[in-house]
Amino acid sequence: MKLDIEATKSEAKKLLDSAGDSGSLAEWHSKYLGKKGVLRTLTADVSDLTVEEKKELGRNVNELKSFLEEAYRESLNSVTSIKKDKPLENFYKSLPGKKPEIGHLHLITQAIREISDVFSGLGFVRVRYPEIEWDYYAFEALNMPKTHPARDEWETFFVDVPEDPKLGKVVITPHTSNGQIREMLKGELPIRMLNISRCGRRQSDINHVPTFYQFEGLVVDKNISITHLKGVLEYLIYNFFGKDTKFRLRPYDFRFTEPSFEVDVTCGICGGKGCRFCKEGWVELGGAGMVHPDVLKAGGVDPEVYSGFAFGWGVERVLMMRTNLKIDDIRYLLENNLKFLEQF
Amino acid sequence: MNVLIPFSWLKDYVKTNAGVRDAASALSEHSFSVEKIIDDDVLEIEVTPNRGDGLSVLGVARELMAVLPAKGFSAEWVKKQIPVTKYSGKDKPKVTISDNSLVPRFSAVVIDRVKVKESPAEIKERLSKVGLRAINNVVDVTNYCMVELGQPMHAFDYDKIGGHEMNVRESKKGEEITTLDGVRRTLPEGVIVIEDGDGRLIDLCGIMGGLNSELDGKTTKVLLFVQVYDPVRIRRSSMSLGHRTDAALRFEKGVDFENVVSSLQTAAGMLAKLSGGEISSELIDITGTVYTEKHIKIDYDKINKIAGIEIKKDFVNATLSSLGFVIKGTDVYVPSWRYDDINIVEDLAEEVVRIYGYQNLPNELPGGTLPHRAKNNNFALEDKAKDFLKYLGFFECYNYSAVSSELSGHGALKIKNPLNADLAYLRTSLTPKLLEILHKNRGYSETVKIFELAPVFLSKKGDLPNPPFMLGLAVRGLDFLVFKGIIEALFEELGVVGEVSFEIVEQPGGALSCEINFDELANITGEARVYSPLTGFNSIKEDITVVVGDSVTFTDIVDVVTNTDTRVDKVSFKDIYGDALTLSIEFLDRSKQITSEETKSIREWIIKNLDSKYGIKLKSQ
Repeated sequence: MKLDIEATKSEAKKLLDSAGDSGSLAEWHSKYLGKKGVLRTLTADVSDLTVEEKKELGRNVNELKSFLEEAYRESLNSVTSIKKDKPLENFYKSLPGKKPEIGHLHLITQAIREISDVFSGLGFVRVRYPEIEWDYYAFEALNMPKTHPARDEWETFFVDVPEDPKLGKVVITPHTSNGQIREMLKGELPIRMLNISRCGRRQSDINHVPTFYQFEGLVVDKNISITHLKGVLEYLIYNFFGKDTKFRLRPYDFRFTEPSFEVDVTCGICGGKGCRFCKEGWVELGGAGMVHPDVLKAGGVDPEVYSGFAFGWGVERVLMMRTNLKIDDIRYLLENNLKFLEQF
Repeated sequence: MNVLIPFSWLKDYVKTNAGVRDAASALSEHSFSVEKIIDDDVLEIEVTPNRGDGLSVLGVARELMAVLPAKGFSAEWVKKQIPVTKYSGKDKPKVTISDNSLVPRFSAVVIDRVKVKESPAEIKERLSKVGLRAINNVVDVTNYCMVELGQPMHAFDYDKIGGHEMNVRESKKGEEITTLDGVRRTLPEGVIVIEDGDGRLIDLCGIMGGLNSELDGKTTKVLLFVQVYDPVRIRRSSMSLGHRTDAALRFEKGVDFENVVSSLQTAAGMLAKLSGGEISSELIDITGTVYTEKHIKIDYDKINKIAGIEIKKDFVNATLSSLGFVIKGTDVYVPSWRYDDINIVEDLAEEVVRIYGYQNLPNELPGGTLPHRAKNNNFALEDKAKDFLKYLGFFECYNYSAVSSELSGHGALKIKNPLNADLAYLRTSLTPKLLEILHKNRGYSETVKIFELAPVFLSKKGDLPNPPFMLGLAVRGLDFLVFKGIIEALFEELGVVGEVSFEIVEQPGGALSCEINFDELANITGEARVYSPLTGFNSIKEDITVVVGDSVTFTDIVDVVTNTDTRVDKVSFKDIYGDALTLSIEFLDRSKQITSEETKSIREWIIKNLDSKYGIKLKSQ
């Protein structure tokens, strides 16, 4: 018996496609796959076939069978889900898709990426410097002698290990400025550094976490001036906060820069008109300044030839400012409540 | 430190056509940040630690003289000096100073026939505007002058000073004094104190006066004094005593050495007027050091280089003069009230450019060559790992660097001054905290997958701790092999070359965890992928199921299978059911089409080899 597989297939498929409801599907099923269906009749009488022919037939029948079963399953699925109840066709399509389970990157990671992206456009090289640090790099070399009241601003954690005669105590660095000295001591100039690292301060309240991230920019080259700091800030603020945000520098005081500035941007909430979240339309972004000649010297750089600027700001802070996410307690960021993390 | 300065009080000093808001924004942009304007008059000003001189009406008025003209407003100095009062030699307090470095300047006068009473309304009102409570005319004068002139001062009842003797010295450990607030304080060594002729401590210098020499209703003779103390000593003492007074905060930022006597004269004159008293002693002014004027060589080019534009010499000179600097030739003399703050030409540049206006400088990107740095970090790889895990359903966690002693691991470094016991040690492993997070979020969902990529701290003798970056993973509701598969897939994604050993730990409660040294992992990733040429021939895939024992590993079996014949192209794990392991084997001959006869023969050899090496047999059907 000769079997024209392709013809059978195409005929069955045609019939199947025209079967619009479950009744006609059942009919089709019994015609092809039922006890007295086409498939069975094909193998009902094989006594007059040779062994080779039987093998050939077996292969063909198996192929046909899986084709028919697969086609039937598909039609059954579509008929039972849509075609059976035509009136719900639109509703069905309105149901949410079945999403694969995707996790969540932490907000801090997302912010670090955004910041790194902006600075890479200006040729800044990203680095990471120690969180557990010698007092020398965190304070002393930054023009902050031991007795200086400026140290009060930093609520510093100390690690319980013996002091080094030269480098002093071991601390959790309270800022990323330790990276200024470490970067300069590499001895490669010019410098365009972006140090994004973990820091620690002895503070925990709705606005402070004892472990937090800062990003520190440092540019050292010949003839670097305040205008360059302003140019980089403009680029950063335009790209990070958008074209409507303006900024200003205010005089400030930091031991490791001279002159020193506080950088303000227009309040994202009132747009600079002034509201209860800002100071007369401005919000503080963070500190910046021209690298103090003593700091350049501590980094092995000649202040007669080179100059530079630096700034160091909180990653979490700029993120909150950019997104206007009003997270009422910043410590949620490190509590790892999945209901919190899943929102980002 | 924030200070309250009424604009109406400033106008005693500066006559201007600027309003309070104009003055506030001029100060914010060019000088001190005005945080708030209260009742349209009182400026709440943030003064940076280097500008102790700004903590007074006088100091802010001086700034106004420079910043108002920068904004196009008029500014004229209208304050007149109080004429020097007359002295008498009637009272002769005896002052001895054990060490002049403690008190670089000590000045005092005695005022007799004082009537202690209420201050006039104008004074009380001004004090209340700056947040001070009026007490009596004597105390009010000291506070009023502190706010106006920036010099903390103190008034003693002269007759309560034993023997009218004052001996300024360092405290001995364990000495006691009861201060004006009624608190009995036990002193450490080295605090500056004044002992009277009866051996009693009557003043905790620069911090607070002693209760035993306090003014009362019967007081008729007052000793008024104004000092300059060693700022470091005051700061250390006030911190160690936990007593941070207004006076201490000012002294430790440094007060104007040259303004001491005129402040005393102003206060004494005011006190005499308000209390009906008269000066009954000579002016006592003991200086331990000679004040020498400080001067800096002016460098106009340097100022321009810092600014980035040319600022005309005339502007530079005029600005410095308006701030009280005196220019003689190429030398700039620093005003006494800026003595500690101005040291180098960069400091002068800041003065000039801030008045010029930072907003008036152009914004320019730095030119020059870009830095060339060899890439020696794993940032890209870290991002890749994080993204991959995220798309596999993992939540990224961030934790504090410090944990409790229980979670810190063996040999963890201790923090000397932790915030609390939960943050007392630097962690040596990420896993304990991740397990805690799984537990805390147990109600979230049946399956939870989390990770953290962060440093841990391994102590190193005589050096900073070693901070390897670790990748910590923890899951709940996941099959062991599924978890293992995720880690293996991650390694493939990262391009890890070669074998990495990692250990999956089965934790109580059905959680699984794994911690991998990411730095080490990064060292063995590479782009060196091997290309195997495509063949035009098809492979044949077959499954075999064998019965395994617990004494072999999967790798042992794969090695046997692979080494049986070069035409075994791939061996992979398909399934295990009880002790029946199903392998999927792909056969490929790169030189010709492989046939089922050939694969049959290879398969027989595989089974033979498995049997002879490990006694592993084909699963009977």
